[in-house]
Amino acid sequence: MKGGVALLCFEYAAFAYAASEGGSGRPRGVSPEFAKFYKDAGSFACISNPSISIPLARVNDDYCDCPDGSDEPGTSACAHLSPLSPHTPADVPQSGVVNTTLALPGFYCKNKGHVPAYVPFTSVNDGVCDYELCCDGSEEWGGIVKCADKCQEIGKTWREIDAARQKSLGNAGKKRKELVAEAGRLRKQVEDRVQSLGVEIEGGEVKVKQLEQELAEVERKEKGKVVKSGGGEKGGKMGQLVGLAKQRVEELKGALVRVRGERDSTKSRLQELEGVLAAFKEEYNPNFNDEGVKRAVRAWEDYAARDKGPEADAAHDRDLDAMTKSDEENGIDWSSFESEEGSDTDVLYAFENYLPPTVRTWLDQKLRDLRVTLIESGILADSSSSGDESKGVKDAKNRLSTAQKDLEKQKKDLDGQKEDLSKDFGPDGVFRALKGKCVSKDSGEYTYEVCFLDRTTQKPKKGGGNTNMGNFVRVETIFVDEDVPANGKGLGTGERIAMKHENGQHCWNGPNRSTMVVLGCSEENELWKIMEEEKCVYRMEVGTPAVCGEGDAAAKVPQGGKDEL
Amino acid sequence: MMLGLNGLSRRWVGLLALYIAILSLLTPAATVKHDNFKTCDQSGFCKRNRAYADTAISNSKWESPYSLDQASLKFDNGILTGVVNKKIINTDESVRLPLTVAFYESGTARVTIDEEKRQKGQIELRHGSKASKQRYNEAEKWAIVGGTTVSKGAATSQDTETGTTKVVYGPGSKFEAVIRHAPFGVDFKRDGETQIKFNDRGLLNVEHWRQKVEKPKEEKREGEEEKKEGDEAVVAESDKSAAEDESTWWEESFGGNTDSKPRGPEAVALDVSFPGYQHVYGVAEHTGPLSLKETRGGEGKHSDPYRLHNSDVFEYEMDSPMTLYGSIPFMQAQKKDSTVGVFWLNAAETWIDITKTSTSANPLSLGIGSATTTQAHWISEAGVLDMFVFLGPKPQDVIGAYTDLTGYTQLPQQFAIAYHQCRWNYVTDEDVRDVDRKFDKHNIPYDVIWLDIEYTDGKKYFTWDPMTFPDPLGMNEQLDEHERKLVAIIDPHIKNEGNYPVNEELKSKDLAVHNKDSNIYEGWCWPGSSTWIDCFNPKARDWWKGLFRYDKFKGTMKNVWIWNDMNEPSVFNGPETTMPKDNIHHGGWEHRDIHNVNGLTLVNATYDALLARDKDEDKHHVRPFILTRSFYSGSQRMGAMWTGDNQADWPRLAESIPMVLSMGISGFPFAGADVGGFFGNPSKELLTRWYQTGAFYPFFRGHAHIDTRRREPYLAGDPYKAIIAQALRLRYSLLPAWYTAFHEASVSGAPILRPNYYMHPGDEKGFGIDDQFYLGSYGLLAKPVTQEGQQGQDIYLADKEKYYDYFDYWTYEGPGTVSVAAPLETIPLLMQGGHIIPRRDRPRRSSGLMRYDPFTLVIVLGNSGDAEGMLYLDDGESFDFQDGAFIHRRFLYTSATSSLVSEDVASTKASGKKAQDYLKQMESVRVEKIIVIGAPAAWKGMSDVEVSEELGGGESAAATRRVPLDWHEKDEGRAAWAVVRDPGVRVGGGWKIAFA
Repeated sequence: MKGGVALLCFEYAAFAYAASEGGSGRPRGVSPEFAKFYKDAGSFACISNPSISIPLARVNDDYCDCPDGSDEPGTSACAHLSPLSPHTPADVPQSGVVNTTLALPGFYCKNKGHVPAYVPFTSVNDGVCDYELCCDGSEEWGGIVKCADKCQEIGKTWREIDAARQKSLGNAGKKRKELVAEAGRLRKQVEDRVQSLGVEIEGGEVKVKQLEQELAEVERKEKGKVVKSGGGEKGGKMGQLVGLAKQRVEELKGALVRVRGERDSTKSRLQELEGVLAAFKEEYNPNFNDEGVKRAVRAWEDYAARDKGPEADAAHDRDLDAMTKSDEENGIDWSSFESEEGSDTDVLYAFENYLPPTVRTWLDQKLRDLRVTLIESGILADSSSSGDESKGVKDAKNRLSTAQKDLEKQKKDLDGQKEDLSKDFGPDGVFRALKGKCVSKDSGEYTYEVCFLDRTTQKPKKGGGNTNMGNFVRVETIFVDEDVPANGKGLGTGERIAMKHENGQHCWNGPNRSTMVVLGCSEENELWKIMEEEKCVYRMEVGTPAVCGEGDAAAKVPQGGKDEL
Repeated sequence: MMLGLNGLSRRWVGLLALYIAILSLLTPAATVKHDNFKTCDQSGFCKRNRAYADTAISNSKWESPYSLDQASLKFDNGILTGVVNKKIINTDESVRLPLTVAFYESGTARVTIDEEKRQKGQIELRHGSKASKQRYNEAEKWAIVGGTTVSKGAATSQDTETGTTKVVYGPGSKFEAVIRHAPFGVDFKRDGETQIKFNDRGLLNVEHWRQKVEKPKEEKREGEEEKKEGDEAVVAESDKSAAEDESTWWEESFGGNTDSKPRGPEAVALDVSFPGYQHVYGVAEHTGPLSLKETRGGEGKHSDPYRLHNSDVFEYEMDSPMTLYGSIPFMQAQKKDSTVGVFWLNAAETWIDITKTSTSANPLSLGIGSATTTQAHWISEAGVLDMFVFLGPKPQDVIGAYTDLTGYTQLPQQFAIAYHQCRWNYVTDEDVRDVDRKFDKHNIPYDVIWLDIEYTDGKKYFTWDPMTFPDPLGMNEQLDEHERKLVAIIDPHIKNEGNYPVNEELKSKDLAVHNKDSNIYEGWCWPGSSTWIDCFNPKARDWWKGLFRYDKFKGTMKNVWIWNDMNEPSVFNGPETTMPKDNIHHGGWEHRDIHNVNGLTLVNATYDALLARDKDEDKHHVRPFILTRSFYSGSQRMGAMWTGDNQADWPRLAESIPMVLSMGISGFPFAGADVGGFFGNPSKELLTRWYQTGAFYPFFRGHAHIDTRRREPYLAGDPYKAIIAQALRLRYSLLPAWYTAFHEASVSGAPILRPNYYMHPGDEKGFGIDDQFYLGSYGLLAKPVTQEGQQGQDIYLADKEKYYDYFDYWTYEGPGTVSVAAPLETIPLLMQGGHIIPRRDRPRRSSGLMRYDPFTLVIVLGNSGDAEGMLYLDDGESFDFQDGAFIHRRFLYTSATSSLVSEDVASTKASGKKAQDYLKQMESVRVEKIIVIGAPAAWKGMSDVEVSEELGGGESAAATRRVPLDWHEKDEGRAAWAVVRDPGVRVGGGWKIAFA
């Protein structure tokens, strides 16, 4: 943007003029807003300190007279009046005045054919054409550089872009409405679901209660039975037990073999890793000046020095081998147990046979009562629950369990749906409509992706695995202060909605990755910019129609007005 | 602790001791890997020469075996020549050592001792080495650029004791060199008083060449009897060699690397005594106080000598004689009202032992009336013995004479003394553009942004990473819009990889450093396997020159400059992180011969390259900017240095001040430390204080390690951002003073930051002060805060003069210590009475955009009521100043006439076109404001002053006019001050302002 540094002399005569420039009747650099302060034909009163009055000839004479800089609207003479400048008593015109805040927002560029704007005073007559703010080049009037008036051209381009932008904004607004509607629809779905679940749960609860009663009844009846109808299974109790034991042993064996396999592979992986680290420690170079590497080496040294626990015992492994042999080899003959005659209770019942019939009946009754009592009080195991309960009980139990499971599921579903409803999906719950949508962008050697309400990801172009840069946690509002490029794809200044992503993949030599996704208004969902603000702390600027409206668009008109003005 | 111990049983004390011992073993080394670097004891020649010194000093009958062959003496045209004979102990043999003592027009004397056999190549090298047989005698090719005109006035004098030869020389013939014949030695006198003595303690040592006598191999056999025999053999051997310890003569190993030492022992050493001198300074670069410590152990003293062996010292430690990245073997000695110095021109590894002896009869007199003698024992591994002597008497006389020889600091481009923003790394070209925009957005000035190694494609220099820097030119053009620059790193190691033309050319053209077997040396550095350019080879330098051409190093343009790092050279897998000493450079020189000058040669080659990047540049002739980490005497001619990889902690901030001061008095003032600290994350307070300190480093660059958080000034938040911005803007507003100070350094070698001893050589109390300094000749006295939470600062004022606080005009009066309030937002900065300080107060985005801004002059009136100050100004970038295109004014305020005048300093009126064009360009640049601090009370009521201005072309004043004066009364402790409102006088013209 800089013109050729043609070295022309300052036109000293320029300093002599004060009141009129370009026929506007205002001194150079004064905007219509402030014109009223410069009307007096005889003298000028500093805007913030009207008690200080100076001859009009001192306005724009390139010497700072007013503590608020208002006598130099068209030069850089008062540019140093700023909290960013070191001040000595003599730098502040009129000693004793403490408030040195500049009264004017900057040098006013009329930018005829474009939008007027203020240029910082620090940029006035510095030899650079600040066309971005001052398309008419009027801030470079001192002759250091010739800045041709480019407002026609710049204005035209700007208007075209602006029209496109406005159109795009309009579209974006529409899209937002659609998104809000979509979000509403999605929310409604959830709400409907909540309602229907409520009804379903009520019904389910009643059903469960009924089934519980039914089961209790069946059980009660069943417990009274002395002779089980569960015949057909071989070998009685011992046989069943043996069957169970056998099955269990097989399971355990299987598990043992699997765990051993896993252990062995882990062990070899560990050895490999230790080898890698040992080599790393030997070969790393301390002069690489990498804190992380150093820390890793120290950690490795600590690790290597630590007691590693007992060495793997070969005998132990042999034991394991033996254990996993087939049972025949181990000398366990399950079938001999299975075929054993009768059971403990059979013996008991057989004992009864030796008693007189009356005693036997009484005893039988007593025993039955005792059994029920004992079972009910939990002292005696309920033989019916040990695998051979009656079909009636089983069926009742199954019915109950199914109903309970259904109910549980519905309740969980309800909780989930309710939580969903209470979650912050941004204004109008609009982000609900973005769920599952992803946008990505190439930057440097990576492609970056953000999937709304899910996670951010870094994908290396050169190949290799993706890196999770953080999982969505919540929606926040943050203050941003960014430039907006001509195409409008930028955040601008002000409060913006942001999505916080945390707890991504751990960073070598740093924290777990996290990403702040800051949202700006845009017609399409698009990823504008990725920055690593500090080690493994990322920031993405993302455009989406979801956040359009509410003063966002207003920030996009090019304006002067920088901090210091 | 003692009481507690009494109560403990012996056993417990023992356990406690054991416990402490174990703890101390476990405590991790805090910083530097000591094991990576040699102590004197691990460096054979240092050990030998220290042992030699111990023998000489402990034995009262010791006599130096060196004597001058009187018959050989010849004095011809300012040069004395002769032969020193070294008697070989216990034999009748002696070794001939040719001696030259040269006397230069400047008053500098030079003593050179070589070795005849090596000179004539009459020695045998071991291991079939192809190295040169001579002692290295080309250091001067790199280090010396002037000041060697032989004195016509120097003459031998008959007025001398027998056994001595006397030469009278120097300005006004006030200097004498008295050469003692046997034992050989030289006493240097000024005004009849001895200032410097060579070989006073008899430590002169030139290790002559000798054949290795292969001892019968002591085979290691089992059994005691054989061992006994072996022991006897060793005893017999050592008897023969008369206590000379041969163990370090031949191959030496350290850290798994073996040095083949094909020439055997070849060290040179000399003791230099400074009788009556209490302080010595110099031998940069080291941490620790400016005034060097003794090095032979004891409370608060070092136990190892100061070492000069340019090295990449990772996380270097505080207050240590350990070597660092650069070497300046120049030492100054200071006593009341007298400064003298020596310069040991030797590029090999060097150690300097410093001891002080007090000759006071009464030890209780504590220095008063006692005479301290400071002794330095210089020891180098190889090369000729070559020592320059400067006899002062002022600090500037010594520094001026040294820089007359080694060259003055380059007059940098103006941007180079403004603020530099660096980080390892700005990761993409968009990142660079973003930082650039952010500085503007936050109204913080900066001039240069830097790229560390990550910009390259796989650490291949002269390439850009196509993924992260797809558009370097676009980036550079954006920077150029606001006259900003880019500095990119280029290191001397070249990635040893196929399909990399730079590497392929380096190898095919045979321009790389060779190993001892004359093959191309391969080592390990950032890119992995690498080769190194051999800048001792003229063809290599030519080739290097071509690499920087814009059409070759694509993506660079005229606002791109260079950072030469790792040029010690740093070799990750080499001995002491550098090259093997038996590597061979062009000319057959071993790396041991040239090690310390190696870094300079790269910068030299880069400097030449930057003068010729395209035809346009040839014409425009722009001053190159190069930052170097490694340096030697003479590197100041080519750019700036920084103190290397420091840490973000308060002690390092404090340490940076003596380090930068030490560089300043060593002829290389363009120095600075990484602002903020390289390793680690500084607290905001530390960062802020570091910017306030850095604003006074001649080289002012913020830098950070790749693992640190971003810390660009605009990220600091309230109130830090504004305070840092103020420090930066202070630097920018004082740029005219800084630039003038640089100009002074570029013509006289004067330091830019000046320690107390330099400013007040008569004030003994201030000789040890190294935490405050004066800026140039402006009487600006700063003492930055370097302690956490510190709210005030005690500043030492050496003279009976008025000093004013820069920011509120509070008045102090010296001599003595005064307390200055220094809350976080304040830099303790005083203005000494008697000076005129030029400023440019308009904040701009970069220094280039201040080119046509008006000036403010600050007149600081002290006790005399007079004041003086200089202003040097040119285009800030080209060599046109050599054709007279500059403005050089002296501003003088005289109380007797109550008038301020601007005088031309230019010795010859430049009438060339470039000079005229420049003056015309600057025609409109005026003085907009004159501030008078300590304004006379008589001015009360005065409302205007009379301005008279010369017309262009030196015509006498045509017209006078009156401009307003605004007078402000004294207020409490604050000085009265006055402001001349817009005198409008041309900064490049002659004018007068009468305050009456």
